[in-house]
Amino acid sequence: MTSVTKRIGAPRTNLWESLGFARVWGFFRSVRLALVLILALAAVLLIGTILQQVPPSIRADGAAYEQWLEQARLKYGPWTDLLEHLDFFSVFQAPYFRALIALLVINIVVCTLNRWRSISITVFRSRVRMTDGFFQHARFNATFESPMPAPEAARRMKRSLSFARYRVNTETGAQSIALLADKNRFSVYGTFLTHLSIVLILAGAVIGGVFGFKDPQFVVAEDSTRGVAGTELSVRLEHFADEYYLDGRPKDFRSEVTLFKDGQEVKRATIRVNSPLRYDGITFHQSFYGQTAVMKVEDSGGRELYRGGVPLSWQTRDGGRPAGLLTLSEQGISVWVIGPRPGENDPLVRPGEMRLEIYNPDGDVDRLETLTQGEPKEIDGLTFTFERESRFTGLKVVKDPGVTIIWVACTLLVLGIVVLFYFPRRRAWALLTERPDGTTEVKLAMPSQRNLSPAGDFRRLRTRVGRVLLSTSATLRSKDGEGGDRA
Amino acid sequence: MLELSRYAFIAAIAAVSAALALHVVAAIPWRGFSVLSLAGRGAMATEASPAFRATTGRFAITLGVNAFLFLTAALILRTIEAGHGPFSNMYEFSLAFAWGTLAIYLYFDARYRLPAMAFLVLPVALGLLLYATTLSDEIAPLVPALQNDLLLTIHVAVAILAYGAFTVAFGAAVLYLIRSHSEVDWLPSHSVLDEVTYRSVMVGFPMLALVIILGAVWAEIAWGAYWSWDPKETASLVTWLIYGGYLHARVMRGWSGDRSAWFVVGGFAATMFTYFGNYFFSGLHSYA
Repeated sequence: MTSVTKRIGAPRTNLWESLGFARVWGFFRSVRLALVLILALAAVLLIGTILQQVPPSIRADGAAYEQWLEQARLKYGPWTDLLEHLDFFSVFQAPYFRALIALLVINIVVCTLNRWRSISITVFRSRVRMTDGFFQHARFNATFESPMPAPEAARRMKRSLSFARYRVNTETGAQSIALLADKNRFSVYGTFLTHLSIVLILAGAVIGGVFGFKDPQFVVAEDSTRGVAGTELSVRLEHFADEYYLDGRPKDFRSEVTLFKDGQEVKRATIRVNSPLRYDGITFHQSFYGQTAVMKVEDSGGRELYRGGVPLSWQTRDGGRPAGLLTLSEQGISVWVIGPRPGENDPLVRPGEMRLEIYNPDGDVDRLETLTQGEPKEIDGLTFTFERESRFTGLKVVKDPGVTIIWVACTLLVLGIVVLFYFPRRRAWALLTERPDGTTEVKLAMPSQRNLSPAGDFRRLRTRVGRVLLSTSATLRSKDGEGGDRA
Repeated sequence: MLELSRYAFIAAIAAVSAALALHVVAAIPWRGFSVLSLAGRGAMATEASPAFRATTGRFAITLGVNAFLFLTAALILRTIEAGHGPFSNMYEFSLAFAWGTLAIYLYFDARYRLPAMAFLVLPVALGLLLYATTLSDEIAPLVPALQNDLLLTIHVAVAILAYGAFTVAFGAAVLYLIRSHSEVDWLPSHSVLDEVTYRSVMVGFPMLALVIILGAVWAEIAWGAYWSWDPKETASLVTWLIYGGYLHARVMRGWSGDRSAWFVVGGFAATMFTYFGNYFFSGLHSYA
């Protein structure tokens, strides 16, 4: 960096110092901390890829978590308890993971604040006149002898360098003209753009978590309508279809739905895996599907208590049979409707049958019955009929207001990297000193850069300057960083 | 069409192997010993060896270019036959990875003349191609989640170029480390190797960012969540973080040089882990 830059950013009052804030600021200002955090995050994420992770919904359910740990024990043996204790099965929810992210955010923000002013000064108020020492010691330098007077040489250089997309400033002094050529000067902001967009992505994730919701198990049976909790929307499934290739691989899953808002139809759509339905900031994704039992329940007087599809979207614990819940609130009973285990001969529930587990208001099993399709059966004064099978669709309903922010931030992230890498800032200084005989000595210098050597740019610049000064053969001395004098 | 693609694939394997062999021949200093000297014409052979080595080196590069062209043909023919980009299973992806590696390697070789790089990069390309021979090359239809031509093409095409760039960066970083630990005169200077490493990471790093972002865009469409901590997602993020670490370390006092070269070696290990991850972990990417 040039000598004009000064580290500014943290206020420097006595209070600031005495409370130890300066030390905290100094801690968060360091790139070394950034490196440590990056490596620590990489390590935690690696654990998360190598070790099996428990889904958060299971983690929240004590019994289910115990069961999950049992199967983990088969894999990890005696290590299981230690791994569990270290939160290694749920690293992405672990406090230390969140702490690392929080530290990274503070690190990025402090580094940005710390460097913003000094970098802005080099962009907007870069020094034009440099000392002789600078020209002598710059990593890349060259001296030219030009037959023309200094103002003419400066004018030519300016025109030529502007043509090469350098922004040129000159300062005329008593004995000499100083010149600064600056290319891609805003590129240095690319580093802020990239780092701040990481913060923005995390902000988007937080906003989505706070203001959004998701229901990954939104089940609708064919020919039935279901409301989306917390909104005025409801979805009716007209038809679900699944198609397969000849080799049995799935080809297409699609749900034909009608969307209602406040009971009014607002949209008809076909939801596929790669084409969700979007409406009012809410998205419906095709997620899973299954079997539905269309049931009819009547009381002894022939009054219809229930008629419609019962989606068998659950699985029984005993052997993976599809099951769905039918609730008769008036009678205070709930009925589990259980279908045959798919793909094999189920001795308990045969194809074309449904098994009922009827629970009384106390939650105890009252009756176990088996229904055959199309045959009404009277159970405790109620007539149950399994009319036919149909399908249900499992949609994932998502509202995530953070997504837009995340896409904007991602664009800025890539943009920042590209600007930083492919449009690097280049600054060259020149000092033109006119001699009494009307000729001019021109010194040209470019400092080295930490990320990538500007050797190629300096060589092109030197050739260009040499040409316009009409003295390509008159280069006195040149250093291009590789030690060779190539004049 | 598929037959032709297979022939081009086999030709590519042959060309990569031959290129590697010729690079080895060109690298051996035939001083005082050569095949010809065995035939009793030692003096002449010794004098002819620099020219012989140069010619062999040129042939090796030409063969590398040929391998690239054969592989390009194999991929194009397969794309025509399948009706989608060759990015939907490990066979196609391995060919594409080898293709990306060759593309980036040939670019840097043309620019910097780095014959030594062949010893690290060509074995990786050859390994990927040989690995592909163990996989089924049948064209399987796309499952619903992959039925997004635009995203499938860009997401994976950018990924193979990023992986190719990281392979080249790995080659340059290893040469850098070799140069640090032994006195060898046939390797390029530290500054050239550092520049090649950095420049290839400059290619790979934003591309991997794009791969992850496009993956997130696609995941939001198809799975309803832009990020699910799916193992492949997470592994690619780990890879990106390691290269991010490299970019910071390289300009830090005490971390430039060997230490930052080790980051690139680690990054390549993470790249391979991400690539072969399907064998270690299950997840949403399990079809690949």
